[in-house]
Amino acid sequence: MTHSHLKIMAYVIFIVTVLMLPLALDEFWLNRTAKYLIFGMLGVAVSLSWGYAGILNLGQGMFFGAGAYMLGMSLKLASPTSLEQGTESPIPDFMMWNAEPNAVIDLCCINSGSFLWIPFQSQTFGLIMAIALPVLFAWALGSIIFSKGISGVFISIITLASVLLMRLLVVDNQALTGGFNGLTDLAWFTVFGYEFDPYSVTTYYLVACSLIVVLLLTRLLINSRSGLILQSIRDDQNRAKYLGFDAAAYQTFFFCVSAAISGFAGLLYVITSEFASPTFMDLTFSITMVIWAAVGGRASILGACIGAIAISMLGSSVSESELFVESWQAILGLCFVLVVLFMPNGLAGIAHGLCKKFVARQDDKKQRNEQNKAEELTKGGAA
Amino acid sequence: MLDTVFIGLSLGSVLLLVALGLSIVYGSMGVINMAHGELVMIGAYTAVLSQIYLDINLFAAIPLAFVICAGLGLLIEKLVIRRLYNRLFDTLLATWGVAILLQQAIRLEFGLSFFGIHVDGLGPGLQSVTVPKVLSEPIMLGDFVLQPYRTFIILISIVLAAFTWFLMYRTRIGQQVRAIMRNKEMAAACGIDVKKINALTFAYGSGLAGVAGVMMSGFKTVMPDMGSAMVVDGFLVVVVGGVGSLVGSIVASGVLGQLTSFVAFFSNDIIARAVVFAVVICIIVWRPRGLFNYKGR
Repeated sequence: MTHSHLKIMAYVIFIVTVLMLPLALDEFWLNRTAKYLIFGMLGVAVSLSWGYAGILNLGQGMFFGAGAYMLGMSLKLASPTSLEQGTESPIPDFMMWNAEPNAVIDLCCINSGSFLWIPFQSQTFGLIMAIALPVLFAWALGSIIFSKGISGVFISIITLASVLLMRLLVVDNQALTGGFNGLTDLAWFTVFGYEFDPYSVTTYYLVACSLIVVLLLTRLLINSRSGLILQSIRDDQNRAKYLGFDAAAYQTFFFCVSAAISGFAGLLYVITSEFASPTFMDLTFSITMVIWAAVGGRASILGACIGAIAISMLGSSVSESELFVESWQAILGLCFVLVVLFMPNGLAGIAHGLCKKFVARQDDKKQRNEQNKAEELTKGGAA
Repeated sequence: MLDTVFIGLSLGSVLLLVALGLSIVYGSMGVINMAHGELVMIGAYTAVLSQIYLDINLFAAIPLAFVICAGLGLLIEKLVIRRLYNRLFDTLLATWGVAILLQQAIRLEFGLSFFGIHVDGLGPGLQSVTVPKVLSEPIMLGDFVLQPYRTFIILISIVLAAFTWFLMYRTRIGQQVRAIMRNKEMAAACGIDVKKINALTFAYGSGLAGVAGVMMSGFKTVMPDMGSAMVVDGFLVVVVGGVGSLVGSIVASGVLGQLTSFVAFFSNDIIARAVVFAVVICIIVWRPRGLFNYKGR
């Protein structure tokens, strides 16, 4: 058994567990677990950009939020309250509350920006935008950052400022985005007439299969030629450049992939939790994602994914009891300090070390057996 | 107009108070201290607690907060930061953990709330500090209303900036700090005790955060999570000004303060913050090393 066998086994065990969970959980817990799996997807996105591209993005929430809001807008327009405003086109309730007294009650012109909502009457448009907008943001930001050769902390500061900027804009445009309250009271996600009840097994499988597909595709991507080049750029940008690779292009591409995954996670989150909120773009949430990846193992896609799932699962089950709500935060903070200090490669790093030991011991055994055999042979020959 | 300039000046000096400590720590040690905002918060709580239990006013709380936060900083440096030199991102993450710990320590009243003991002035709620009378009554200068507390903040930040300048450029220790900033290995080779100087630098930066906290407590509500927004602002100032540049931090906080005040005057506070973020992003893209940055390193 070699190291890569063990790795494949880890993936298989993870995938089987995720697929088998509905047998053990009731609807309430299925819904919750689906959310944790979505966080796992965010872990994958962070690990891809941080572990493999060397870009510490402190604004991952920007992409998650954009994805969530885009599909959220479509689902908001499809909700019964929006449909039953007594107008030709559906109008979100918060737009009615904010409408000027003499405004035309129609999606085109109830307020100055509401026409932007018109295409979102189609859910397909919302779906496409939920991936396209984050990618567009990432491309715009990434192509400026990377072509200017900005690196390290400065990228983190820029992404951090961007996510806060976006949060402010969303909060400030109450009439257009629902402001602080976000988008609530959403319709169920519908495909060809089938409604995805957030508390059903189907929705769970939608999320679980999406996660598995994302996980495997990302895995393939980082083992591909471009993935390897990306890692070489992370390790020594100048050398990669002198070898003729367009470092900025690779970095921008993977930044966009990471954004697409986050946007996808955002749209799944809206489907399972039935709301989109500006808290998705809080600094705390973006840093929490980084924490997940760090604890799970930044340099391991699966590790970061499991880290995200485990921490959020532990966190919410612990905070069931009132006494632990606050102390859980403290424990998390302490764990985090300890992980950074003593296990820089996270849980995955530890697992990696154990695997290595295991493989080495097996090799030792094999070698000894062969040696013994050889000795016996020579002895036999001598006799 | 004069009012807006004055408000901008006081916003800028608040930024400078927070950024000063960050700038020194980041510039000389290469440590991104996300717990800086929490040290500011501890400083503010020092003011609250000293008012309740020691019955001393805001002025007396300033040195007290400096000492307490510097001590805390020393502890954080010994336990965490010291192990993370040359691992820039890891300092960011570890100090974020420290920040959570400090916040929860205040929320949980150092763990006493588990035993049902409540300490006045701690806990998750909001606290406030009474400002001495000298600082709370506005002074009329013709048409212009002089807010004494804002003036006081501006004065304190000027004094601290001047003192820091003196420390950095006119004392032996400051010379050593600047040597470490330029080249740590060379400095060590010249016989500078880098570990000791770094610990002192971090303690001094933390102490400045404590003073900033006392000043904040006079015009903001004091609560456990007041620090997290501040550390972001502080970093924007540091990065825009140029890492490790004292002049840069002063100019950047002045510019960002005025910008906030003027945009807020013409629209609202939220837009003002948004504009500041946008301008900061543009400046970093335009000059990644900041407005003021010495060559070399």
